[in-house]
Amino acid sequence: MMTRIAPFSRLTLALALCAIPLAPALAHTGSGVQEGVLSGFLHPLLGPDHLVAMVAVGLWGAQLGNPAIWVLPITFPLVMAVGGLLGISGIDIPFVEPLIAISGIALGMMVALNVRPPLWAAAILVGVFAVFHGYAHGQELPEAADAVAYAVGFVVATGMLHLLGILIGVLVRWEAGAAAVRACGAAIGCVGFYFLLGAVGIIA
Amino acid sequence: MMRFLPRMRWLGALGALLLVLCGLAQAARAHEATMAVLTLREIAPGRFIGQWTMPPTDPTLQPIFPPHCRWEAPELICGERGLVGRLSFMGLGSKQSVATIRVLPHDGPMEAYTVSAAKPFATAARNPGTDLVVWRELAETYVNLGIDHILRGIDHLLFVLGLIWLVRGGWKLVKTITAFTVGHSLSLAAATFGWVGVPERPLNAAIALSIVFVGVEIVKLQRGEEGLTARYPWTVAFAFGLLHGLGFASALTSLGIPQATLPIALLFFNVGVEIGQLMFVMVVLALLWAHRQAQALLPRWGAAIPAYVIGSVASFWFLTRI
Amino acid sequence: MRRAARLLALAAALALTPGVAEAHLVDTRLGDFYSGALHPLTDLQQVLPWIALAVLAAFQGAARARWVVLAFPLALLAGAMAEMVLQLPTEAPILGLVLVAAMGLAVAAAARLPLPALIALAVVAGLLHGAQNAATMGPATDRLLFISGMIASGYAVVTLGIGAAIAFLRGGTWRPIALRAGGSWVAAVGIMVLGLQMMTRAAAG
Repeated sequence: MMTRIAPFSRLTLALALCAIPLAPALAHTGSGVQEGVLSGFLHPLLGPDHLVAMVAVGLWGAQLGNPAIWVLPITFPLVMAVGGLLGISGIDIPFVEPLIAISGIALGMMVALNVRPPLWAAAILVGVFAVFHGYAHGQELPEAADAVAYAVGFVVATGMLHLLGILIGVLVRWEAGAAAVRACGAAIGCVGFYFLLGAVGIIA
Repeated sequence: MMRFLPRMRWLGALGALLLVLCGLAQAARAHEATMAVLTLREIAPGRFIGQWTMPPTDPTLQPIFPPHCRWEAPELICGERGLVGRLSFMGLGSKQSVATIRVLPHDGPMEAYTVSAAKPFATAARNPGTDLVVWRELAETYVNLGIDHILRGIDHLLFVLGLIWLVRGGWKLVKTITAFTVGHSLSLAAATFGWVGVPERPLNAAIALSIVFVGVEIVKLQRGEEGLTARYPWTVAFAFGLLHGLGFASALTSLGIPQATLPIALLFFNVGVEIGQLMFVMVVLALLWAHRQAQALLPRWGAAIPAYVIGSVASFWFLTRI
Repeated sequence: MRRAARLLALAAALALTPGVAEAHLVDTRLGDFYSGALHPLTDLQQVLPWIALAVLAAFQGAARARWVVLAFPLALLAGAMAEMVLQLPTEAPILGLVLVAAMGLAVAAAARLPLPALIALAVVAGLLHGAQNAATMGPATDRLLFISGMIASGYAVVTLGIGAAIAFLRGGTWRPIALRAGGSWVAAVGIMVLGLQMMTRAAAG
């Protein structure tokens, strides 16, 4: 019976770890499916710049409404996979971290200012972020003991962050909610700016 | 083949029932010359001194104690949890087929745990009293044994499958399964306490016959005849539950449970059996639901195939067990 | 909000399932039938395409989906039997990952497949996984029990998946999108791990 309870306590642990997102990424690429899924799951949650940018993607999708709200969750993982392939292959892409931070700022601004570009323009902006996000994770993949489990973990975490963004984004139906969503966007932009300063070495 | 079986079935079932009523004593445990006995005397709570009162013929024979115990011959330290958990021997084989651990607690009667090649471990337990840790340990051990037993017992599962097939679902199924549960709980208790005893072979044959019976009933139902089970589902389920419970009991008694914990062990074992049975029923009902959703149902000409398969497999078991 | 809660529960279940399954494999006390049944469930490279296959079949409607219920377990059996006489090809892991990616993409696109193509996909997956699982049997394993366990779990997962997906699709317009997003995730996993596999193979020469 105890074996059934264990995953829940692990999840509690995982959630507890999420509460301190500024902690360094735990490099526990342990053996086994469970560890693989867990470490993959935690990876995007422990990088706050990734985390906020992903929530921003969901928020923006909800703000843009049809068809962005459903094009986004289906195409994002695939574009991310392309970035992941680049990361696995070891191709050196410079300025990954600053670019992720910049895309966080850009996405946050879009949400905050309620910008409504044509779908293709939005797709390109989100796509750039997806590629770099996938690239950063793809670099980790060869080190994972169980690559499939690790990939499943981080893909699920990514999807859940989108979902979170979309769920918050549902608030745009109400006037006050729309304002709250825009405020979230502004906050995300600020977080992105903070990490940009960190990435280029202006602040430690 | 199925047409002749109903008559045979009644003969066999009657015979088995007679045996149950007679309450034949269980076969005496066979004694073997190559016995080894290790006696553990409790000198302080959770501390034992071990001594071979009957040394093993094979000197490599070593006792295996639960993980929380530390065995540094001749001393065994189990801490405040005491000596509870799985006892076993390493090196049990052709030279040494049976070994016994005798425990002399400082406040209680002696307990003996016998391990053989056929029964590779025994479970040490003490009356839990108010000690929650011991309760949890007992629950974990016996609930798992119960789940294990029902999920391995393909004959019990086939019977339950037949019941589900016959009764289809809804409240009637809940009542039928409950009746089966009550029936096997009663006879499990009766047999574990030694009030009734049945030799294993005729019992197994009778269990096989009960499955043949269900198979026949399904075929009858599909032909539009109203069989016994269709009319009195829960009575039939209760009666056969009594029979299957005796089968569970033989699994439980073969573990050699000390008298002090027998009622508790029985309770948890039964809970385990019910959990396993419920899991099985849920999976079967979920699959039936999925089949309806996908409209993946058997064509009319093949509708009787499962019943015939169940019946034939069970008839084969009956013939091999008789 | 209730929908959201359900989705979250689904995602949580997805996240937890492998852990639960693995915890059981640790004690294979239930005999070779259950180790056969649990072995594929602990391998995400098999469970993911199974669920993707079920969802893909559900997208084709019940009349076509039900053929998968029949074809897939039979293919598992055939694959396991073939493994006893033939060697598992060295490309098997690559083919397995290609299947993960292909099925994920097909679900993401909600592709309408002709019936023969759907059955062929189920058969290829069944043959491959049947052989892969059979190859893990040790000399002491009861082959009959192990293989029947594996077929039982393949049948159960695919049938339950098809039934659940068909029932789920009867509802709001967001439901196919949720399933397609799931397919896209599966495809992403397949593509990335396939890339990794190719890369390490190339590196190994």
